Amino acid sequence: MSAVAQIDDVSFAHPGSELRALQRLSFRVAAGETVAVLGPSGAGKTTLLTLLDGRLHGWRGLVSVLDAPLDPDQPQPRARRADTGFIFQEFALVERSTVLRNVINGRLGRMPPLRAFLGNSSPRDLKIARDALIDCGIADLAERRVDSLSGGQRQRVAIARCLAQEPLLILADEPVSNLDPARAAEILALLTGAARSRNATVLFSSHQPELACRFAERVVGMRDGRIVFDAPAANLTNDTTAELYRETAPFSRPSLRAVG
Amino acid sequence: MRSRGLGGFAAGSFVAVAVLWSFATTDVDFSRIMSAGPRIADFLGRMIPPDPTVMDEIIKGSAETLRIAILGTLGAVVLSVPFGVLASDTMAPPALYQPVRTLLAFIRAIPLILVAMLLVGAVGLGPLPGMIAIAFHATGMLAKFYAEAIDGVSRAPISALESAGAGSLARLRYAIWPQMAPVVVRDTIFRFELNLRESLILGIVGAGGIGFYIQTYVRSFQYEKAASVSLAVIALVIAIEAFNVALRRRFA
Repeated sequence: MSAVAQIDDVSFAHPGSELRALQRLSFRVAAGETVAVLGPSGAGKTTLLTLLDGRLHGWRGLVSVLDAPLDPDQPQPRARRADTGFIFQEFALVERSTVLRNVINGRLGRMPPLRAFLGNSSPRDLKIARDALIDCGIADLAERRVDSLSGGQRQRVAIARCLAQEPLLILADEPVSNLDPARAAEILALLTGAARSRNATVLFSSHQPELACRFAERVVGMRDGRIVFDAPAANLTNDTTAELYRETAPFSRPSLRAVG
Repeated sequence: MRSRGLGGFAAGSFVAVAVLWSFATTDVDFSRIMSAGPRIADFLGRMIPPDPTVMDEIIKGSAETLRIAILGTLGAVVLSVPFGVLASDTMAPPALYQPVRTLLAFIRAIPLILVAMLLVGAVGLGPLPGMIAIAFHATGMLAKFYAEAIDGVSRAPISALESAGAGSLARLRYAIWPQMAPVVVRDTIFRFELNLRESLILGIVGAGGIGFYIQTYVRSFQYEKAASVSLAVIALVIAIEAFNVALRRRFA
C-alpha cells in the first residue's frame, strides 16, 4: 500500500516555547488505514495532526502528504488543502450560520475562488453537501442555525462539513472528547464508516483507549512529542495504555518499547 | 492601611477644595433661585398652549436634522471601516494599530459642538458643516467599535475554512463577516441614535437642523413656538429609539 502520509525525523517547537512539541518524529500512514493517536494532553497529538493538515510552519524534517512534500516555510496550495480534511476539537463552526451553510463551507476549496466568494454553489456542490448531511443523520437540521444545536449535533455538522470537502485523508482532533461514552461510540462509528465508504484514510486522536482500539486498526501512543508505541489495535494491552497516561517516567522499561 | 488612610484624606481634601473654589469664584448668586419661582411659572405658562402654526418649520427642521444624522452616520461608517481595520490588532501590526488607536481617542476627546463651530467657520452656515462634524466626531467611537468587532471574531472557524482550502475572500465572507455582522449592525444603530440626539444641538451654532428654530424662538421670546418645536424634538427622539429597538431585535 502506498503511504498517504509520511513523516521523517520531524521536530517542532511552538514559537516562543522552549519545549519541543514534536521530537524527531517518524511516522507513516498507509492508504485506507484507520489510525488512532493516543496520549495525554500536551503529548503533541494536535500538533501532529495540524502538521499533516499543512497548517504548521517552521518545523524541521521531511513531511509528505498524499504523495507531495510539504514546505515548512510556505502555505500549502489551495487545491491540496482541500484534499486533507480536518475535524476540529471545538468543532470550529460558524455559529450564526445555518447547518447547510456550514457544510457548504467545506466545499469552498473545491470551487473557483470567485464562485466561492459570490456564494452561488453549483447543483453538484449542493448535492454533495446534502448527501453529507444525510450520512451524518442531520438532514432535518439543514436550515437550523448552529448556535441552536447540542454538542452531539454540532459534532455531526463538523463531520458533514469535512465529508462535503471530499478529502482523501481525514484528520480528526479528539472528535469525541466533548461527548458522553454512548454518543462518542456513535460518532466514531459514523466517522470511520463514512470514511471507509469513501475510501478515505482516517487519523484521529483520542483520550479513550477502548474507543481507539474499537474503531481503529492501528493505535499510536504519543508522549512528550515522541511516539512511544505503534501497534495493531488487536495487540494493545490495558497495561500499555495505562502506562501512557501515568504521571511520571513512562516507558522506562525496554519491554514496552518493543510492542508492535 | 495607614498610607491608604492618608491617601483617602488627601483625595477628600482635594474634592472639598475644588467644590469650595467653584462656589467662591464663579458668579453664582443662589438667591436668584429662591426668587425665580414665579418667573419659572410665568416662563412655562407662556409656552402653553404650544403654537401649532410652526408645523412647516418643524417638518423642515426635523427633516434636516434627520438628514444630517443619516449622512453624518454614513460618513462615519465609510471612515470607520478602514480606520477600524487599521485599529484592530488582528489585522494591523502594533506599529500601525497603536498610533491609530491614539488618534481615535484624540478624536473622541474633541466635543462635537467644538468641531461644529470650527467647521461653520471653515465651510459656512448650513447642514454641511453639521454632517461633516457628525461624521468626524462619530468616527472616533465607531472605528474603535469596529476594531473590537474584528478582534472579537473567533479564529477557529477561519482556520477551518482555511483548512478546507477556501481563499481569503471566501473566508472573509463566510467565517469572519457572519461573526462580525450583528456587532457591527448593533454598534452602527447605537451610533446613529447618538448622532441624531447630538445633531439636535448643531442648529445652535448654525450647523443646520431643528435646533436652529428652538434657538430663534427662545431668543425672540416666542415661547409657544419654542414649546412646539421642543415637543417635536422629544417625539422625534422617542420615535427613533422605538425604531432602533425594533431594528436591533431583527438583527439579534
